[in-house]
Amino acid sequence: MRRSIFISYFWNYIIALGLIAFITALFFVLRDMLDTTLIALLYLIPLGLITALWGLGPGITSAVSTFLAFNYFFIPPFYTFTVHHPTDVVILVVFLIVAIVISQLVGRMQTSLAAATAREREATQLYELSAALAGLHDDHTIAQILAKQIQDVSHGEAVELNITGTQPFAFHLPNITPPTRSPEVIVPIQAAREVLGEIRLWKAAPEILSGEKRLLQTFASQGALALERARLVQAESRAQVLEESDHLKSILLSSVSHELRTPLSTIKAAASSLRGNEVSWDSAARPELIAAIDDEADHLNMLVGNLLDMSRIESGALKPKREWNILPEIVGSVLARMRHLASEHQIEVDVPENLPLVSVDYVQMQQVFTNLVSNSVKYAPEKTVIHVCAFVEDKSIHVLISNQGPQVPPEHLERIFDKFYRITAADRVTGTGLGLSICKGIIEGHGGRIWAENIPDGLAFNFTLPLIWEGAPPPQLPIDTEIE
Amino acid sequence: MSNAPHILVIDDEPQIQRAIRTILTEKGFKVTTASRGEEGLTLAATNKPDIVILDLGLPDMDGVEVCTRLREWTQCPIIILSVRDSEQDKVAALDKGADDYLTKPFGIEELLARVRVALRHSTSRQGAQSKVIKAGPLTIDLAWHIIKRGDEEIKLTGTEHKLLSYLAANHGRVLTHQNILTQVWGPADADHTEYLRVYMRQLRKKLEADPEHPQYILTEPGIGYRFIADE
Repeated sequence: MRRSIFISYFWNYIIALGLIAFITALFFVLRDMLDTTLIALLYLIPLGLITALWGLGPGITSAVSTFLAFNYFFIPPFYTFTVHHPTDVVILVVFLIVAIVISQLVGRMQTSLAAATAREREATQLYELSAALAGLHDDHTIAQILAKQIQDVSHGEAVELNITGTQPFAFHLPNITPPTRSPEVIVPIQAAREVLGEIRLWKAAPEILSGEKRLLQTFASQGALALERARLVQAESRAQVLEESDHLKSILLSSVSHELRTPLSTIKAAASSLRGNEVSWDSAARPELIAAIDDEADHLNMLVGNLLDMSRIESGALKPKREWNILPEIVGSVLARMRHLASEHQIEVDVPENLPLVSVDYVQMQQVFTNLVSNSVKYAPEKTVIHVCAFVEDKSIHVLISNQGPQVPPEHLERIFDKFYRITAADRVTGTGLGLSICKGIIEGHGGRIWAENIPDGLAFNFTLPLIWEGAPPPQLPIDTEIE
Repeated sequence: MSNAPHILVIDDEPQIQRAIRTILTEKGFKVTTASRGEEGLTLAATNKPDIVILDLGLPDMDGVEVCTRLREWTQCPIIILSVRDSEQDKVAALDKGADDYLTKPFGIEELLARVRVALRHSTSRQGAQSKVIKAGPLTIDLAWHIIKRGDEEIKLTGTEHKLLSYLAANHGRVLTHQNILTQVWGPADADHTEYLRVYMRQLRKKLEADPEHPQYILTEPGIGYRFIADE
């Protein structure tokens, strides 16, 4: 590269001198028609041109050689460098001064123009980089864009960005592994407080121009700004999530302590009265107290189970163990178990036997039905109907559990599946406020959808379960019907 | 009382140990307790208990591991204790040779029922197995392949019959899906839980008064099935 620059420089001189020689020859042919002063004036044209085209060096060289040629060929006595006539001396001196001054002026203008263009290009590149980096919050994308811009500007062999941090990584361009030799340029990506990584540039040229290096440094600091901004945004959103979960936890604590205290009080009262012999052995209250302890212990267990499920759903640990199951069986088992709880309501079931098998987690699906039915039982007035039905609807099973309970204002319909969300004040209705959000977690874990809607005489919970599982439709079973 | 059945309880929670010991001692069993896996294994080797009650969450080793190591040398019934939602662990322990499980918190009737079944199975392992099993109005004659409700004979298909016979022969015990599938359909079908679901439903329809609320063929959610016969 250096060699070729040198050669191109050299060529500039040759061409400049060649041009002067050509002009001189031309003037020499036409010397009878031209006055000496006119020749001097005309010589200034190629001089200006040469300087404008190839810079100050060739310009000055041409000025000097023009001066010599002018003197040699056009100032009498001809073909010598001696000058007899004083006017000619003046012409020559003036010519030399004018030629050099023109060369210098044009050359200087040329250099400053080149510098201005370079600065403008740098500014454009910087602007492009900062525009591309603006609004990015992801280290990987930032590294990608930075590397691409560096590659575009430097035309190096390869660029690698090593980004440090909690998850350090390297990104390089082009997509082949960078050369094994150590890079020619390493620029640290220095942020205000720490080094966020480094730029490694492989460029075969033996010399990286200082302007290029400066540009790289500017790029590095732009990259550092972008990375730092990304990290701040991440930290901020983490802080926001933490704050939110902190808030939820405090709701949880108050809700849970309220919920847990109720059964605990019952258990404590019943157990202590039994223990203190305050209830005689044959009293009718005795079995009732014992039943209360038993029931409330179950209730406590259910509450704790809900909390555990919720934390599992939150942490993504509640993975359904999916198998092909019979939906009517699940519904039947849940309703049989809830018979006692729902004794004041009339439960109508319309889940046909010939539904295809569904791939669900048996236990989790039982819980969904339990929670939705018990929610209906809790809010719908006694003696009303709770309707459970299921049908196939384009590649999924649609389940509908409706009750004749109070409607939910439309703006709350979606939010009732949020954790701890309740429309009724917490002290009016029991429960952790987790039942519906657990349902949502489970159904979504199965790839289904759950929603609530107001129906003319009450509220309906809907959910869908996909029929296709792992690309397979529900299996048809080889049933033997032959009786032994 | 010297030949009272001996039960070894391996559980690291003192409250649970206390409760189980109090109740079982009250019921006439001899109870030994261990709070760590290694200790439990040593006690099992020296005391030769009739039943082992084993908590899956031990501080020093995995309960399933304890189960496997016990099974290397003894066939004594093992009842697993564990918390809800650890179905996978329970199934793993049952497939490694545990006989039954109880989910904490459990009622004492449940515990006693499991202990009774376990004792019966440990004696039937040694002696002759009863060939006619009664469950409410149902009579299942394993030798003659006859199933009756009252006096009326119930017709079953070949697979249904095989399934019911296997369940009835192991009545009182929990049988995992994989266990039943392997025994009735063969190892190649061990993952086809849907076969079980469908056949169990058919069986219930033929045998149970209310198939949605079965009395004899019980579903153990996430684990398997259990057939309940008269004691």
